[in-house]
Amino acid sequence: MDETPGGATEPPVPTVEVGALLPRLDRGDTVLVLDVRNREEFDAWRIEARRPVETVHVPYFDFIEDPAASIAKVPRGRDVVVLCAQGGSSEMVAAMLQDAGVPSANVAGGMIAYGVYLEPVRVPLAGGEPYELWQVNRRGKACLSYVIVSGGEAVVVDPSRHAPWYEEFAARRSARIVRVLDTHVHADHVSGGPALARRLGVPYFVAAGEGFSLRQPVTPLADGQEIRLGGETGVSIEVRLISTPGHTPGSTSFLVDGRHLLTGDTLFVASVGRPDLGGHVAEWGRALFDTLKRRLADLPGETRVLPAHYGTTAEISPEGVVWGRLGDLRRTVPEMQIATADAFVDAVRGAVVDPPGAYAEIIRVNLGASASEEKISEWELGKNQCAAAARPAAGA
Amino acid sequence: MALKKLDVRGAKCPIPIVKAKKEMDTMTPGDQLEVTATDPGSMPDFQGWVKTAKYALLKEQRTEKDEGGKDLYIHLLERT
Repeated sequence: MDETPGGATEPPVPTVEVGALLPRLDRGDTVLVLDVRNREEFDAWRIEARRPVETVHVPYFDFIEDPAASIAKVPRGRDVVVLCAQGGSSEMVAAMLQDAGVPSANVAGGMIAYGVYLEPVRVPLAGGEPYELWQVNRRGKACLSYVIVSGGEAVVVDPSRHAPWYEEFAARRSARIVRVLDTHVHADHVSGGPALARRLGVPYFVAAGEGFSLRQPVTPLADGQEIRLGGETGVSIEVRLISTPGHTPGSTSFLVDGRHLLTGDTLFVASVGRPDLGGHVAEWGRALFDTLKRRLADLPGETRVLPAHYGTTAEISPEGVVWGRLGDLRRTVPEMQIATADAFVDAVRGAVVDPPGAYAEIIRVNLGASASEEKISEWELGKNQCAAAARPAAGA
Repeated sequence: MALKKLDVRGAKCPIPIVKAKKEMDTMTPGDQLEVTATDPGSMPDFQGWVKTAKYALLKEQRTEKDEGGKDLYIHLLERT
C-alpha cells in the first residue's frame, strides 16, 4: 500500500475543518461522527457540541482487518464525518467508505485539531460600552481565554499556547495587544502568555505564589492594582486585579469595568477550582474557602463571573457564553453552600478525581522550563479536569 | 521460526498497522515481527488490532530511547 492512504491517483477524499464541523454539530444537523480511534482514546475524550453528537465507534484497524463488516456498521442517511487522532487513519477510512458508495468526509487534523481549535464569542454587554469583551473557547479542552478590546488596545487573559492566533484576532479588531495576563500557573494546558508577551515586547503577569519558583520574567502587579486600557484615544476601561488564592497560592481574578470578573480556576459556573494539585489540599482548600466567602463577598450579585473552564457544554449559555451572575452562583454552586472551612476541605478532598495526566510536566513548562511541541501536544490531549466536582468521563 | 524487523519510525497511524498486517500476511505460524515505531498512539492501537486480528499475538510492548533521546515504541508480534 502507498504511504498515502487511498493512493495518489484516486480522487481526493473530501475534508471538513473542525471550525466548519462544530457549528453544524451545535445546530443539530444530521451529521454522524464515525470515530475510528482505539477504544482507550475514544473512552477518554470525544468530540462534544451544544447538542448531543451522534457518534459511532469503529476502530480503523477493524476497517483494515475486515472492511466489509466495518463498513456495514456505519448507519446510512447521515452526512458521515470520520474522525481519528491526527487525521491519517480517518482519511483512509473515509476513502474506503467513499469507494463503497457511502458519502463521507475526513475531519482534517483529527482530535489534535479539535484540541487546539479556538472559537471567539463576543460577550453581550448592555450596549454603548466603550469596549468589547471576547471569550475565546478552546472547545476541545473546555478552556476559556479572554480578549478585552478598547480604544485600539487589547489585553489578553489566559491565552492558549497558540500565540499568533491572538495577534491575528486583535489585528482583526483593529487593536494592538498591550498586556498579557494569566490568572494562575495552569496545570492542564501550556500557557501562551509568556510567548505572546515576548513576541510583542509587552508586559506579562502571572502570580505563581508561595512554593513555586517561576523562571518567566513578569511585570509584577499588586492586589487591587488597576490597569487602564485604551487611554490614548480618550476611551478607557479599568481592569482591577484581585488576589484570589486557593486553586493555586497565586491565583488572581481580574475585574473588567467593575462588572465582569474573570475568575480563572477560582470559581466556575457549576463548581469551584480544585485546590489539591499542589499536594496541600487542606491549606489551599482553606485559602479557597476564604477567597470565596470573604474576598469576593464585597462584589455585587450583578457581577458577571467569566471563568477559565467549563465542565460540560450545558454550562454554555444560549448566547454561546460560559458565564453566570455572582449572586446566582452564590446560591447554586454546591461548594458555595458549605458553611465552614473544615467541611469545605472535606468536600473538595472527597470530590476530586486523579490529577490531569501530565499536570506536573505542564506546570514545569508554565514556570519556564522548555519542552518540544510534540511533547506539549501529547500532554495537552484531553479535556480539562480543573473543577473540584467529580464528573464522569465525556459520554460515560 | 524467523524474526523479522519492521521500521516504521516517523510514520503515523494507520501506516504502522497497515505495514505490520502486510508483513504478517506473508509469515508462517510461529514467526515473529518486531515493529519499531515513534507514534505513542501505536501502543493502544497494536493492542486493539490484535484483538481483531485473530492470527496475530502481541508478545511484548516496550519503550526505548534512540540515540537522540527520542521515545521509540517496540511491538513484538507473533503469527499464530
